[in-house]
Amino acid sequence: MRSLLPAVAEQLFQDIQKTYQETSQIPDDLLIALKFVFGSCALQALDLVDQRSVTCLTSPSGRKAFQVMGGSGHLYTCFLSCHYCPCPAFAYSVLRRNQDLLCKHILAVYLCQAMAATQQESVSDQQMSTLLSPTGTP
Amino acid sequence: MSDVLTLVFRTFMSESCLKKDPGVGLPSPAPCTTLMVGEHRVCRSLLLLAAVSAASEWGVRVVFFAQTQIQSLPVFLQRCSPSLSPESLKKITFSYPRTLEELLQQVASLHESPAPPSLLIVDRMEGFLRGTAGASHGGFQSGEQSRAAHLSALLCDTAAFLTRALERRGSSSAPCRVIASFPSEGDGKDSSPADPILDVLDRYFQVRCTLDPDRSYEAAAAAAQEVWHIYLSGRGLTEASGEDGPPVTQEWKLFAFPDGLMEFKLI
Repeated sequence: MRSLLPAVAEQLFQDIQKTYQETSQIPDDLLIALKFVFGSCALQALDLVDQRSVTCLTSPSGRKAFQVMGGSGHLYTCFLSCHYCPCPAFAYSVLRRNQDLLCKHILAVYLCQAMAATQQESVSDQQMSTLLSPTGTP
Repeated sequence: MSDVLTLVFRTFMSESCLKKDPGVGLPSPAPCTTLMVGEHRVCRSLLLLAAVSAASEWGVRVVFFAQTQIQSLPVFLQRCSPSLSPESLKKITFSYPRTLEELLQQVASLHESPAPPSLLIVDRMEGFLRGTAGASHGGFQSGEQSRAAHLSALLCDTAAFLTRALERRGSSSAPCRVIASFPSEGDGKDSSPADPILDVLDRYFQVRCTLDPDRSYEAAAAAAQEVWHIYLSGRGLTEASGEDGPPVTQEWKLFAFPDGLMEFKLI
């Protein structure tokens, strides 16, 4: 995703990516930093990463989107280039209260990208259109 | 950096202003999403002007979304756009989704189009967002903010995809831009600056184009029917001026004359 985050968050993901490539784990100091920057959704996002919950969908046109399996079993479709998630936490904590930068689903997407833990799946162009429009969201 | 609207204003500047600022050309390559806030009638005219200019002057494909049909082009466009022709108008696709859901489906399926557009225009976003079934009375619920975010994010993500598609084809029409209008007056709606829907839209749109009516005597002095102040602001302009540059704003005036002609003046 293009840079929509504060510089500290961008740097944090770069550090996580670099360290994970070298050691296949995230050290405590980066985990603490993650929690400091993103609050309570940091641990929830890491759980989603552990559960391999993030899938990058690609269609023949080249269009991509991320699909995240939430803890409740719902599938949330997030975009590649800007922050949006149809989950209630995004609507309330991010949009309405402006309390959080991200919801756990979008954070999980960033972490999976940094850790190369994203699943890959191909869909048709029509399926992609359906997923991106409201009929494809919970 | 000039976005599509700034280039439109420059194209239709008065002759006296043109001598001072003759910088007219193709839009710069920086991607841009612009939200136009103001009285609906003027916003729609400017959106049509942007669409026709992009199609006829710059030869790019445009998709124009609106809830209400456009019966005819404004007189001003018919008389003042030298490149206007049926062939150039064919580059504009007018689409009339009736609901937010239809609009989302049509935008979501643009990636299936064999010829990627370079300009996406949405007339009167407010009509799509506030006309949703289940909308509450008196005040916004998080559902409406979420729908505003969904539409805005989908427009931005679609424009980003279309930009990559145009660049892969080596097209000079890249990037794909988005202009949407959000009427703030004349519709009986509260135009408070704390509008929660506008707060959400500002997250996604890089440039805000605000139209304010001029209530001074300037209209009479210029023999104009109406005068409007146009303010361009936002991080899209600031980023273009350089990361360390000061906040950038642009201010224009729009003179609308009784015979339908329009002129822009850079302040």
